[in-house]
Amino acid sequence: MFSLFFENLKISLIAVFANKIKSLLTALGIIIGVFSVTLMGTLISGLDRSFESSMSWLGKDILYVSRYEWFSDMEWWEVKNRPRMRSEYVNQIKNLSKYALAVSPVMQRGASLSFDDKETRTEIFGTNEEYMETISTDIQQGRFFSQSEDRNGSRVTVIGDGIKEAFFGFEEPIGKYIKIDNVKFRVIGVLEKQGKFLGLFSVDNQAILPLGAYKRIFSKRGWMRLSVKIPEDKIEEGLDEISGVMRQIRGLKPSQKNDFAINQTKAFESQYNKLKLAIGGTGYFITLLSLIVGGIGIMNIMFVTVKERTREIGVRKAIGATNGMILGQFLMEAVTICFFAGIAGLGFAYAVSLVINQFFPSTLPLALSVFSIFISMFVGVLSGFIPAYKASKLDPIDSLRYE
Amino acid sequence: MELISLKSIYKIYNVGGEEVRALDGVDLSINNNEYLSIMGPSGSGKSTMMNMIGCLDSPSSGLYEFEGEKVHIMDDSQLASIRNRKIGFVFQTFNLLPKASALHNVEIPLVYANIKKEKRLEMASNALISVGLEDRMHHRPNELSGGQRQRVAIARALVNEPSIILADEPTGNLDSKSGHEIMKIFDELHRSGNTIILVTHEDDIAKYSNRIVRLLDGKVVSDEPVKK
Ligand SMILES: Nc1ncnc2c1ncn2[C@@H]1O[C@H](COP(=O)(O)OP(=O)(O)OP(=O)(O)O)[C@@H](O)[C@H]1O
Ligand SMILES: [Mg+2]
Repeated sequence: MFSLFFENLKISLIAVFANKIKSLLTALGIIIGVFSVTLMGTLISGLDRSFESSMSWLGKDILYVSRYEWFSDMEWWEVKNRPRMRSEYVNQIKNLSKYALAVSPVMQRGASLSFDDKETRTEIFGTNEEYMETISTDIQQGRFFSQSEDRNGSRVTVIGDGIKEAFFGFEEPIGKYIKIDNVKFRVIGVLEKQGKFLGLFSVDNQAILPLGAYKRIFSKRGWMRLSVKIPEDKIEEGLDEISGVMRQIRGLKPSQKNDFAINQTKAFESQYNKLKLAIGGTGYFITLLSLIVGGIGIMNIMFVTVKERTREIGVRKAIGATNGMILGQFLMEAVTICFFAGIAGLGFAYAVSLVINQFFPSTLPLALSVFSIFISMFVGVLSGFIPAYKASKLDPIDSLRYE
Repeated sequence: MELISLKSIYKIYNVGGEEVRALDGVDLSINNNEYLSIMGPSGSGKSTMMNMIGCLDSPSSGLYEFEGEKVHIMDDSQLASIRNRKIGFVFQTFNLLPKASALHNVEIPLVYANIKKEKRLEMASNALISVGLEDRMHHRPNELSGGQRQRVAIARALVNEPSIILADEPTGNLDSKSGHEIMKIFDELHRSGNTIILVTHEDDIAKYSNRIVRLLDGKVVSDEPVKK
């Protein structure tokens, strides 16, 4: 049966390539279908990857206590009168909680950094000496500031890798003075390079200052959150306890609702899963739709092909082709069109994935690619079957007489 | 040895409620290595009889035995197999596949017979050489003259070494010179032991054969040897 298989393949290839434009138009639906499903896979793989690394910066064992929920369906008026976070809470939490391993307040604002004639705008953070325990990044050079430096209001700073590169290049940054909004700070440490958060913005362009200096120079009041590190195996208990501690600090009665929010990376995860579902759902919907449209197109063109080649079918039957062999020939032709359509769709998706890769790292998933080729061939079998069956059942004499 | 035996074969079509008897009780026996012409006016049932003998068509009633096998009870795939192994067709309009080379056209019956590539090429080349087309093997039908196309068709008909070669007006689309060239090939095939049946309108062409069967309205009206 091998010789017949190759013969059919050859016939199909000739038929498909003899009329490239027709084949292309016929196969457009399949091309788009494979394109969209593989591109969607690429997108999701990329999102997964950047999401995972972004989440690892946040840390599963960190509770972010602040005024507002990250993702909330509460109305604005319900939360707008909540009191601010205060730096006094840090010590109160430490005293009241048995789970809190580290507590650091974080204040944040935009500022202009300069060194010599170089200048850049970036985010600056004011925090305490425990900050390093609440992030997953390490110091690559120098050190973090100490508790006493914080208390004294020392003008020292730990900068991100991006600032280091921009200001110092290969020179030694430690001990140099940079200006933050025209106030001199001494660089005492450099953070490791981190990349982009969710593929959106770089977190390497930042400067971290002791909260004491931050408050004195930039603002006493302002937006603040608390990062509380709890044991990894006691997340639930820690969450309950910190919530209780915060209620106690705020002096809430049992009947009163929380007037603060405790955020976790979990919130991101569920939000992310919603997004993924949306992308995936849209992708599959487009794919399904274009495969159906494509399949109908293939079926249509195969009916035309069978009609055009009625005489050929008669001849083939006269010289000994069985019904099954004719069926096989036309099925093969439909599958061949779909196969090449699949390859073309995959090719386009690959090209686009290279472009996407410029923005955030992603790969075309191999399994999905192979799967999508099989799916398109399956569409070929489905949509080619009825025309091929019709061809196989043609009466040889009628076909030979067909003009 | 008897190759073909038709006994009271009827082929009846129903056209708009009216009965058309394309074959109306035909009895015919054909032996090995016979060379037979079927003649008759248009619509007398010549092609219908050819298709019947060639196992392309099955009778409305009657008995048909080919080499002792009962054709009238065979199913589609058995008929396909017998066409492939035992019968070679030559058509008036050549019926070659336009996109395939001469060699590939001749190769196709061997593909259906599941013969290996090298063997196929050898057999197909030999068939083309035997009809004098050794220098046209890679030409496509539209690059060949009518006579050459018909020779390709003959090569295709004989490549499987069939028991019988059927030709329905093989010279009908050719000028008389190429027609006679084709007939010389049939002559040679006959001399080398092949059984040949041809349908023709022309007495000239029928004279090549050894026996003439005349049809009229689906009936055999005469069956005589050719005087040479
Ligand atoms: N499929 C069909 N349906 C109805 N009638 C048919 C069919 N095929 C053939 N016939 C009729 O059967 C009769 C014999 O036809 P056939 O083709 O055998 O004639 P023929 O002798 O080959 O004629 P010609 O010399 O013109 O080729 C004709 O009257 C034709 O109209
Ligand atoms: Mg006829």
